[in-house]
Formats: sequence, C-alpha cells, structure tokens
Amino acid sequence: MKTIFKIALGIIAAIGGFLDIGDLVFNTQAGALFRYDLLWAVVLGTIGIAVYAEMSGRVAAVSGRPVFDVIRMRLGFGFGLLALIASTLVNLLTVAAELGGIAIVLELLFDAPYSMFVITGAIALVLIVALLPFGGIERLFGYGGLVLFVVVATVFHQNPDWGAVAHGFVPSLDSSTLYLYFVVGVFAAALMPYEVHFYSSGAIEEGWTEENLKENRLNALLGYGIGGVLSVALVIISGYLFHPLGVEPSDLGTVALPMQGAFGETGLLLALGGILFCVGGAAIDSSFAASYNLAQFLGWEWGRYQGPRKAPRFTASWLVFLLLGIAIAQSGINPVEITEYSVVFSVVALPLTYLPVLLIAGDRSFMSEHANGRIASALGWIYFAVIVVLSLAAIPLLLATNGGGG
Amino acid sequence: MTGTGRKRAGCSALGLFLAIAALLFSGCGDLSNDELNRGVESLSALAAQGQLVANGVARDATKTTYARVMARTLGGEAEHEAEKLADATIEEPGTEDQRHAAVAVAGEISGLLSELQTFPGDERHGELIEKHLEEAGEKADAIVAQLSGDAP
Repeated sequence: MKTIFKIALGIIAAIGGFLDIGDLVFNTQAGALFRYDLLWAVVLGTIGIAVYAEMSGRVAAVSGRPVFDVIRMRLGFGFGLLALIASTLVNLLTVAAELGGIAIVLELLFDAPYSMFVITGAIALVLIVALLPFGGIERLFGYGGLVLFVVVATVFHQNPDWGAVAHGFVPSLDSSTLYLYFVVGVFAAALMPYEVHFYSSGAIEEGWTEENLKENRLNALLGYGIGGVLSVALVIISGYLFHPLGVEPSDLGTVALPMQGAFGETGLLLALGGILFCVGGAAIDSSFAASYNLAQFLGWEWGRYQGPRKAPRFTASWLVFLLLGIAIAQSGINPVEITEYSVVFSVVALPLTYLPVLLIAGDRSFMSEHANGRIASALGWIYFAVIVVLSLAAIPLLLATNGGGG
Repeated sequence: MTGTGRKRAGCSALGLFLAIAALLFSGCGDLSNDELNRGVESLSALAAQGQLVANGVARDATKTTYARVMARTLGGEAEHEAEKLADATIEEPGTEDQRHAAVAVAGEISGLLSELQTFPGDERHGELIEKHLEEAGEKADAIVAQLSGDAP
C-alpha cells in the first residue's frame, strides 16, 4: 500500500502535469482534424517526457539538485537567465490557461459567471496548498484525475475501427502545414518544461535519495504511461466522433461530449470531474514550477515543506504568479487560445530546459554509477535532436497556420 | 466558456506580441473564396456540435447547466461568424448569393442554439432542435459544395 502511495508523484505529474489543458485541447483537436493519424506523435511525446522526467528525477535524487539548479550550473548565469525568462513566461501563460480551464468546467457545472469562478478556483487552490501537505496535494489531484479513465471506457464502448486506430501509430508524413503544426503541438504539449521542473523539485520536496531511484523509474514509466494512455484515448474518441462530423473543438466543454454520448449524464459528470482535477493539478504544478525556478535561480529558500515562514519569498512569489495568472485569465482571452500559444511557445524554451538535464544526467563525474547508460543516453540525444528541430519550426508553423486555424 | 467576445492578446515579450499581433490582423478585411468557404465550413461544424448537445437534451442524458452553457457558447460563435460574414467585403465576384445564404444559415443556427439555451431540460425541444440543426448543417454543406463547384 505504501508503495502505491509513493508513486503518486509520478501520477500527479502525469495527470495534473502531463495531461493538462494543453493536452486536452491539442489531442482532441488532433483527432477531430486528422482522425487517428497523429497517434504516433502522442506516443513519441509520451516516451520523450518519460525519458527526461526519469533523468531529472534521478539527478535530483542523486545530487539533491532540481532542474533549474542544474540549468544555472551548466549554462551559466546568462543562458540560465534566458531560460528563466522563457520558462517563466510560458509558465505564467500556462497558469492562466489552467485557471481559465478550472473556471470553464465550474461554469459548465454550475452556470454562474466565468470571472467569478476564476477567482473561486484560485482561492480553492490556495486553500488546498495551505491545508494539505505536499503528498496530500499529489494524491488529491493525481487520484482524482484518474476519473478521466472514463475516456478509455468510452473508446471501448464505441468500438472504433481498430485497424485504422493501429495504423495511426505508424508515423506518417503529411506535407500540410496544419498537420505539421499539430505534430509540434501534440509533441510540445507532452513535453511542457514545467513538468520536469515540478517533477524534480517535487523529488526534493519528498526527500528523495539514491534509494528512491527505482521509485523514480516506476513513476516516470507508470505515471507518464497513464498520461499517454489517456492522451491516446482522447485522440481516438475525438477521431471517432468528431472527425466524421467535421466538428472543430474549440471549447473545453466539447472534450466531454463523447462521454455524454456513450454514458449519458454520468459519463459527462465523470469527464468534467476528471478534467477539473487535471487542470487543477496542472495549475498547481505550473504555478509551483514558476516559483521553484525563480527561487532556485536566485538562491532563495524554497519548498512547500519549508512553509511560508522558512521560505517567505518562495511563498510570496507563488502567490504573485497565481495573481498574475488570475489577471490574464480575467482579461477576456479565451483560455483555449492561451493554451495553444503557451504550448507552441514552450517548444522554443524546450532546448534550454532539456539540454542541461541531458548533460548532467550523463556526467559520470557528477552522477558516478547513476549516470545515463547507453540506452538512456541514446534516447536522450535522439529526443534532443527532435526538440531542436521542432523548436525551430514552431513559430513559423504557428504563423503559417494562423494559430492552427488553417 | 464564456462568450465569443474574447480577444487574443499579446504576451509581454516583444516577439510573442508580434506573433500574436500578426495573427490578430490576419484574416481581417476582404474575404477570399477560401475564407468564405472556411467560414461556412465552421458553420457546419457548429451545427454538428450543437446537434450532439441537443441529442443529450433529447435523450435526457445531460446536465442542464452543461447544455445551457454549451448552447450559449456555440450560439455566440455562430453569431460571431454571421457578423464576420456580413461585414466582410467579398473579393471574388459571383459569390455574393452564397455569402447571403451563409449569413442566413448562421443566424438560423444561432437562433436554434438560443432556443436550446432557453430549454436545456426539455426533451421535446431538444429533439426538434437536433433535427433543425441537422438541416441547417446540410444547408451549410450545400453552400460549401456551391463554392467549391461540387454542387449539381
């Protein structure tokens, strides 16, 4: 039983971090536009985040250093500052998008003004963080988000053409810019930098040491694997239901429609509940990641386990990020649009996050016998090459497709 | 969701701002045949989405707050599309009739969704609206076919 609870870090990273509003939106749109053709990109992204999360968790457990510490150590102050600015901007947009996502789900459930729910949602998050220990927060959102398995049940209930689904896992090339934009979007949504920032800092919060390395591997594989299964299910169900009808899902509420079709009101409520836990968890992850990065870069005391008295600047910065997120979410920008931009812009920041992790995880003088082996090293470099290519293509594709509008 | 009036906004970094500004300004002004086509296609997509929501109402398989908010959101999007199509100047001659027809279909979809918003718990209304949205979607498809020269 204790082991099950221990893997919660991986599960919250998967449900509340991996499967955030960006994945919900991009995967649903990818299925609606290209049916099952982008399933391979979801798998590619899932393996990528599992590889890098495992590395960042291992570095944190062995050295006691989270990702942003490593970034500054490896890249120096100048590039470290650049990485901080880039990741903070993306994190801020992500916090705003997730808060907007919380408000949208609450609006769908209770039909009261969206702006009221942005504030209510943020207050609820503050209370949860204030009242629950770090492990309690993980369990609340991690296990709550598992309700979203109703998407997997819906896929089996609808029984799509499994041959066509299987074909979608084979990488296919399509020269249309919109297809390429969605390859970038689906991949980037899986590898949002805040996920490894939160994951590695969370490992320090939980006091991981070399003894936790097995747990780390299990977290990365199982946690992100679960996230990947849910993402695949979203693409399949969207491809099954929306693609033939020509539906273009531009609202978070649309994500829940297939579950209503399959299981009625119960399916709808489970889907909305699952989405709420996912975006709630991701709001905590991304806001914490923003504060972790800032505190680690500036050498402040940090960590939820320290409490506001021992880490006052960390706590204050978390509240400031949350307030800024509220301000953006309240400005009238559609959260789904914020999400799309935050995901695509995050691709540009990816190399600055993942290169230092790769370098330090493979450094035998630093990691001794826990340094990357041949497989981890090869996978890491292959993924880094993919990340660099996508980061160069992201903004031109965003402009060429009018933000995915075609 | 929250209405359709939400505008895209820039981020604080200049590069991001410029990228978003470029997106903001693209698509405004004259309406090419392709853009008209896309606009009508999006009406068909809205009608299809509305049909799914109405189907939930017809089967008593949804939550009224969800149906109401979704109908409001989709109706707002249809209204926005109607305004966009009505305000734009047609670039290519000979498509004025299709533009007028598209505006009418957009209005029809918006009206049906507004009715669904008013009666999100009424199964009979749900059934009727689902049927009418299907017809509106077919009209939109027919306009797309005319614009792309596939119409008989």
